[in-house]
Amino acid sequence: MMMISLVEELALLTIEDDGSLAPTADSVGFRFCMIGACLIELNQLGRIDVDLEAIHVLSREPVGHAALDLVLQQLHTESPQPATAQIRRLSAFSDDLIDLAIGSLVQRGIIDQQEKRFLWVLKTRRYPVIDGKEQTEAKLRILSLLLSDDLPTPHDSVLIGLADAGGVLEGFLSGTEIARLQDRLQQIGSLDLIARCVEKAIQAERELMGQISLIRTF
Amino acid sequence: VNVQIETQGTAVVVKPSGRLDFAAASAFQAQMDEVLSGSGQPPAAVVIDGAGMEYISSAGLRVFLVAARAAKMTNTQFVVCGLTASVREVFEVSGFDRIVTLKATITDALSALERPAN
Repeated sequence: MMMISLVEELALLTIEDDGSLAPTADSVGFRFCMIGACLIELNQLGRIDVDLEAIHVLSREPVGHAALDLVLQQLHTESPQPATAQIRRLSAFSDDLIDLAIGSLVQRGIIDQQEKRFLWVLKTRRYPVIDGKEQTEAKLRILSLLLSDDLPTPHDSVLIGLADAGGVLEGFLSGTEIARLQDRLQQIGSLDLIARCVEKAIQAERELMGQISLIRTF
Repeated sequence: VNVQIETQGTAVVVKPSGRLDFAAASAFQAQMDEVLSGSGQPPAAVVIDGAGMEYISSAGLRVFLVAARAAKMTNTQFVVCGLTASVREVFEVSGFDRIVTLKATITDALSALERPAN
């Protein structure tokens, strides 16, 4: 079986024990993280490269992964733009990316898709994990790196950083534990320029939302 | 990227020069893998002298994480030195200064290496 991608692994980590998506899957932070995960994978596959100034598109050739190809198509190429600006712009497609990642997990037999009705009217969708192997393995990898002094692989470093920035860690670690592991999270999470840009974009968005709510108060 | 490799005492000094972008990253990665494996006998220390490195992208940076991880797994000391201001900024922004020892010059890097116990 093809290795699970970063974008799929992040989506998988938001699925709770009852098969529902964690509330964080609807947050701005998680949406930006999904865009970041796609960009990181496109970078690894040689379609883009990133520096402090901009995202540079190297090739438009599709990679054969629906979520990644969607992001690749939407990247501006007329003039290279800073990664943070592109992340914020691309967040308009984050719902599609989450659907595509979930769809891919269903197709690969990692999760199931079940539709139920609540009070005979409201339709709810659940995605229970089938044997839980991939989800448990991802959580264990994250925990083992956070609790040791090992250095992560590039994949695990960005998985940890994005899971932290997108609020995904809260699904299996308590707030106290996350606070206690903060130094380690800072040390080994997001050792990557794109992941750092995601964190910057989330911070800028939260500041903007804070300013807007302050203006509304007055 | 052009890479020169030399030995100074117990350390292998790697000197990449030019642009370390996606196009150059895989060749540099292969050279680093070879240096760090040391044909079955990993070196005591590896110093990367980045004075000749003009540019580094996200793909180039990934080589440093893979190399630092491999060095840690074999107890090889790993130091990076001589970075230009722009490359050093990339290291700092992406948090690499927290996992890799950065030194200003090759002399500083070589003196920072722990001497093997007799």
